[in-house]
Amino acid sequence: MDFELDGEQQAILDSVDVLLSLRAGPERAIALAAKGELDHDLARALREAGFLSLATEVGPLEAALLVERAARAAAVLDVGARALVAPALLREVPDVPVALVHADGRGPVRHAAFAGVLLVADGAVARLVRVEPGSLAPVRSGYGDPLGFVPEALRRSGEALGAGSGERLLRWWRLALALELSGASTAALATTVAYLKQRRQFGRAIGSFQAVQHRLARCAIRTEASRWLALEAAHHGAPGERVAVAAAHAADTAAQVFRETHQLSGAIGFTREHDLHVFSMRLQSLRLELGGSTAHARAITAERWAEGAP
Amino acid sequence: MEFDWSPQDEAHREELRRFLDETLPEDWETISRDGPGSDAQAGFSREFCARMAERGWLTQHWPAAYGGSDAPPWRHAIVGEELWAIGEPRGPQYMNVNWIGPAIMEFGTEEQKAQHLPRISRGEVIWCQGFSEPEAGSDLVALRTRARREGDAYVVDGSKIWTSYAQHADFCILLVRTDPEAGRHKGISVLLVPMRTEGITVREIPSVVGERYFHEVFFDAVRVPVSCRLGPENEGWNVVTHALQYERVGAARYARAALTLDRLAERARERGWLEDPHVAERLGHARTLVEAARVLTYRVIDQRAHGKPPSTDTQLARVAGTDADLAVGELALELFGQEGLAYGSFADANFRLAMTAGVAVGATEVQLNLIAARHLELPRE
Ligand SMILES: Cc1cc2nc3c(=O)[nH]c(=O)nc-3n(C[C@H](O)[C@H](O)[C@H](O)COP(=O)(O)OP(=O)(O)OC[C@H]3O[C@@H](n4cnc5c(N)ncnc54)[C@H](O)[C@@H]3O)c2cc1C
Repeated sequence: MDFELDGEQQAILDSVDVLLSLRAGPERAIALAAKGELDHDLARALREAGFLSLATEVGPLEAALLVERAARAAAVLDVGARALVAPALLREVPDVPVALVHADGRGPVRHAAFAGVLLVADGAVARLVRVEPGSLAPVRSGYGDPLGFVPEALRRSGEALGAGSGERLLRWWRLALALELSGASTAALATTVAYLKQRRQFGRAIGSFQAVQHRLARCAIRTEASRWLALEAAHHGAPGERVAVAAAHAADTAAQVFRETHQLSGAIGFTREHDLHVFSMRLQSLRLELGGSTAHARAITAERWAEGAP
Repeated sequence: MEFDWSPQDEAHREELRRFLDETLPEDWETISRDGPGSDAQAGFSREFCARMAERGWLTQHWPAAYGGSDAPPWRHAIVGEELWAIGEPRGPQYMNVNWIGPAIMEFGTEEQKAQHLPRISRGEVIWCQGFSEPEAGSDLVALRTRARREGDAYVVDGSKIWTSYAQHADFCILLVRTDPEAGRHKGISVLLVPMRTEGITVREIPSVVGERYFHEVFFDAVRVPVSCRLGPENEGWNVVTHALQYERVGAARYARAALTLDRLAERARERGWLEDPHVAERLGHARTLVEAARVLTYRVIDQRAHGKPPSTDTQLARVAGTDADLAVGELALELFGQEGLAYGSFADANFRLAMTAGVAVGATEVQLNLIAARHLELPRE
């Protein structure tokens, strides 16, 4: 048991942070959003530095640390799917964007318009569908990641990845979600805390009002817990109960962080000139994925307490 | 970073569980239904702690010089989890081993160490904590119980309130004001007072929580030898802040909440309630709170294991623990409905144990103030 980074992890994260500070960040996310683009440059830089293969070359925890950091840095990229989920299912990490799809899902899918690989969760199996990147129709949306439309026929096609693959896909997908939610929640909260330290009304910093402080403090407790729960689950190889706990906790946290950061930022929080929306709008998208918090919560109960649970 | 228990820790947990199976009496659930301060549980603690001590487990995290075996903080955390989860068979003595003993090691004279530490580590003594006063709750430094120096003794006048375990206690770790002229945080001292000293009276305050939960302790010209003072005169606040950092996560509340939730889910399954998706969601959400409290507490233990000074992570863990406890207590009542109202029923016993979580050991709002100031570094008024 050790919550501190070891030397290798520290070295990895140091270079990840340098790379992200140069190539990601809210300003870039805003520019990409205006064009509806995915960050191909960032993907290339991460791949060249070897970070997209951390899961196989070092371990899932290290890949998880990357995913969380990327979300905190507002990376507009399928980094969770590519660095964490795909390696759990495929022998080779694809060189193209990966979109995660639920066979029974109806809505638009994150990153699908750019994806070269779809990983489809269809009951007991997962399926691999190769598509021409750019062939799926983009769906206009203001929730952070570029979305695309995956036709029903594609959701039902592809190569089955073997016994247990459906469940494996869901577990790692839940984990990636928990990490992205946690990173984005942390960044949204930090943005608002920084703003409220300098924004003054009634002759004092708004962040000095206790009614405001307690709400922010409660958000901080939740974002800290979300991060540790997700990292723990990654270390243990994404077991069903742990990833459901991490995802449910992170999704509930996201809802609370969205509500509080927007409320406490006032009107500026709704503008594209303030960074908050880069993180917060994404929270709404992420927290709905895979059925959202209620589905994660039911999964916890099924995993832990149902008849014949492991 | 890695999150595995060492094989030794795992083995210790197993051994401890076997020991508990063998040692706890059949009617343990009944003994423990009114909390660690009840006559039944405090009485049992003397027997139980002596047996823990025989195995060298009661104070294993203490230094060898004081009757421990220098076990790492994680080992002690396992003991806390296992014992607190099943209702704390150490009774009030968990306080002794968690922070009163360590405070004596840190600040005590050789004579005090020799007098108190062996008795604590043998499990034969009960302490109470005389901090809060009628006018000094969250604002503890407002305390007014006065200790005047008269030769080689202090004469103590005043009263303490909410004092858990006072009726069973052999000693009290008492906060007094030795210099009323000094600033708020100055002029406070700590005394280690035998409860059977003339001039001390204890009155139980009847409560809805359980038996012997709260007491008032009155001090009427109580003479306490100066040799009973812990740490330097007028510097008691340092001693206390040090001690409280350990207390705030001392009781593994999340472990209790986790076990209660498991038992609740088991009963829900037996009655077919798990089929109801709403019930399944409620249980799942409660589990996220319990797990959040656990992992935040582990973070605090980890800092201790690394020899780092206490940080506001303690407050994060504490509020999360409170939330988990309250959520599980409420859920038990809600799922059982009016059935849970019967005294001593599963829902009732657990709800009563949980209901004080947000106030005991420093109210939630005060923790949130600290998180805002020190963790988020938000400006003061
Ligand atoms: C089960 C239990 C066991 C206890 N055992 C002991 C014991 O053994 N020994 C002992 O010394 N004490 C004990 N206490 C007392 C405990 O430490 C106090 O209850 C606690 O510190 C709060 O003080 P109070 O009850 O006077 O509440 P108050 O201080 O009167 O607070 C009332 C409410 O106001 C809020 N509040 C206070 N100040 C602020 C602020 N600055 N900003 C915002 N909100 C604020 C509080 O959070 C709380 O919600 C025990 C309490 C309980 C419930």
